[in-house]
Amino acid sequence: MARKGIAHIFSSFNNIVISITDLTGAETIARCSGGMVTKSAKDEGSPYVAMKVAQVAAEAAMEKGIDSLNVRVRGKGGRKGGSPGRGAQTAIRALVRAGMKIGTIEDVTPHPHDGTKPKGGKRGRRV
Amino acid sequence: MRYLRIPKERIGVLIGTNGETKQKIEQISSVKLEIDSEEGEISLDDREVTDPVLGLKAEDVIRAIGRGFSPEHALKIFDEEIEFFLFDIYDYVGKKENHVSRLKSRIIGRDGKTKQVMERLTGAHISIYGHTVGIISDLEFMDVTKKAIDMMLSGSKHFKVYRYIEREIKKIKTSGSMGF
Repeated sequence: MARKGIAHIFSSFNNIVISITDLTGAETIARCSGGMVTKSAKDEGSPYVAMKVAQVAAEAAMEKGIDSLNVRVRGKGGRKGGSPGRGAQTAIRALVRAGMKIGTIEDVTPHPHDGTKPKGGKRGRRV
Repeated sequence: MRYLRIPKERIGVLIGTNGETKQKIEQISSVKLEIDSEEGEISLDDREVTDPVLGLKAEDVIRAIGRGFSPEHALKIFDEEIEFFLFDIYDYVGKKENHVSRLKSRIIGRDGKTKQVMERLTGAHISIYGHTVGIISDLEFMDVTKKAIDMMLSGSKHFKVYRYIEREIKKIKTSGSMGF
């Protein structure tokens, strides 16, 4: 029973969330986030935890018969900007190491085509 | 297929002598590059990629070369532990030429001294090109380098930035790799 799925990786500075769905994206098969594998909040976004998260998610998905994945990485995005965080790369590598076949990798960070004004006001953040 | 655009004067560097650099990129990441040297457009064909992470990183390598890095330094990005990040000075002061050149000179320093000091402290490579500041850095010190450049661009005094870098690097080194 070899099925293909999509791994949605959301990786920000402070956390990482991986949810593995079927190809339509509507049916979640496995899900894991930083807080599920570590106790301390400051580690949730670190590369090491990203590796763990990917392992847990991959194992759970494999049990349900998913063995190849398309990957969609996403950073914080929006007016706050930012590309995928430091965890994303390690997470993809960990997925490969867990035995998943990776098809395409796509960056789906939402970028504004000029959106709202960033916070902080005209004179910036005054400390 | 993915598309990129780099300044025309950097196309020559991307191709290299007799296509050396282009070949190296294709060899390491197994993407196929098609370069339009009149428009500066590059298309990446990643259908035959064996390691998808390398395929993704090829894009970063090309962007880094486009933003003023030498091919030697840019090819380091293929390393697992090394990443590329780009700052846009327009995000900090808008498009006024005076302000942009002021910030550029803040980061470069007299005879490139500030830049050299920061490169030595963090082990990163820094490139200032047009209105962007690019950094190629070890993942371990990436956050420190990013914060330091951010402080510099938003107006911190030089000695404060140096002090910040020294303090944070010491913290990382004593706590072991990756903060564990």
